Amino acid sequence: MSNNFDCRHARLEIGGDPQVQSPELDAHLATCAACTQFRAETLALDARLRAAFELSLTEFRKPASKAPPARRFALAASVVLALLVGGGAWLFRPQAALAADVVDHVTHEPDSWQGHDPVSPELLAAVLARAGVHYDIRLPVIYASPCPFRGHIVPHLVVQTDRGPLTVMVLEHVKNEPEGRFTEGEYRGIVMRAGAGSIAVVARNDQDFDGALKDVLDGVR
Amino acid sequence: MNPRPRGTTAPSAFTRLLETLRPDLVRFAFWLARDRAVAEDVVQETLIRAWKSRDELKDTAAARPWLLTIVRREHARLYERKRLPTVDVDQVEALGDPALASDGDAGLEDLRRAILQLPDEYREPLVLQVLGGLSTSEIAAELKLTQAAVLTRLFRARNRLRTIYGLPPAEDAE
Repeated sequence: MSNNFDCRHARLEIGGDPQVQSPELDAHLATCAACTQFRAETLALDARLRAAFELSLTEFRKPASKAPPARRFALAASVVLALLVGGGAWLFRPQAALAADVVDHVTHEPDSWQGHDPVSPELLAAVLARAGVHYDIRLPVIYASPCPFRGHIVPHLVVQTDRGPLTVMVLEHVKNEPEGRFTEGEYRGIVMRAGAGSIAVVARNDQDFDGALKDVLDGVR
Repeated sequence: MNPRPRGTTAPSAFTRLLETLRPDLVRFAFWLARDRAVAEDVVQETLIRAWKSRDELKDTAAARPWLLTIVRREHARLYERKRLPTVDVDQVEALGDPALASDGDAGLEDLRRAILQLPDEYREPLVLQVLGGLSTSEIAAELKLTQAAVLTRLFRARNRLRTIYGLPPAEDAE
């Protein structure tokens, strides 16, 4: 045992990091019952500390009381109806660049279509909160990711419908693009205004797009 | 067309990784901020920042400390940006948070309240060590302190909590 390593040093080392035992401390403990007991007590305290830090997250699932209210991304029933009654009628073709960008984004995340299990409410909330939007939907969301798009972070969601998955991108910053349907490569979609911005809904060509779109829009609360 | 960032981790795999680690990030942020709403804001910002910087994470095994570092920085940035007032330890809102409750274990709840009342300079290294799993040298690097200073702070943090646990405090390390 080093002459310089006394009980004070031992307790500092134990209290600082009870899981680690230096050779000096080891040697000291071999001759000091009081410090051995101190270490045993500190290890027991640490077990309690670990349990104390492991808070139940059930309580965290409730909305935080001080969180700022999210802006609601409401889809007016009349807008939905107009789109659906219009059937295949093209309102205005969205600027090709926007449709191309949406499809390009979707194309680069092929895994987004592969999910089966709904994402956690926490992840979905985090993705939506970053955009400051509220998007209530009854259908399961199987993919949720905050994605860079045209200089903004936007929620990229994939919603599972009875007719297959649909991608929904909430484009709050897209305010002046014409609404309308588009076909780009293997994908079909629609850009429509919602809330203060727009949303883009994209399906693969082999899907019943109108049916799936209706499922999504019907599912919006 | 916009160029999209491409990382070593596929986007969907990275999303799953974030989802897996999120509970620990929320806990970590809560113990730092002592306020649930602030903790949730911090974690949301952390997830976004992590997503944007995902190319920097070369080894997913290092994801946890990497994310904890981002949480710490986002927490500091939040206070800097919003100029949130420093809260007196007796007025910490989280002291009444139902998340502190522990079924049938009042001692654990007392310990949680005692941790919340530790000064920041003691609580932060303790959270990094016990919850974050960082070594004292890693904490020293994270907090820009010497390892000796970290050891002293951790010793004092535990020393204050010993009394809550019904143990006599040790002589101070000064």
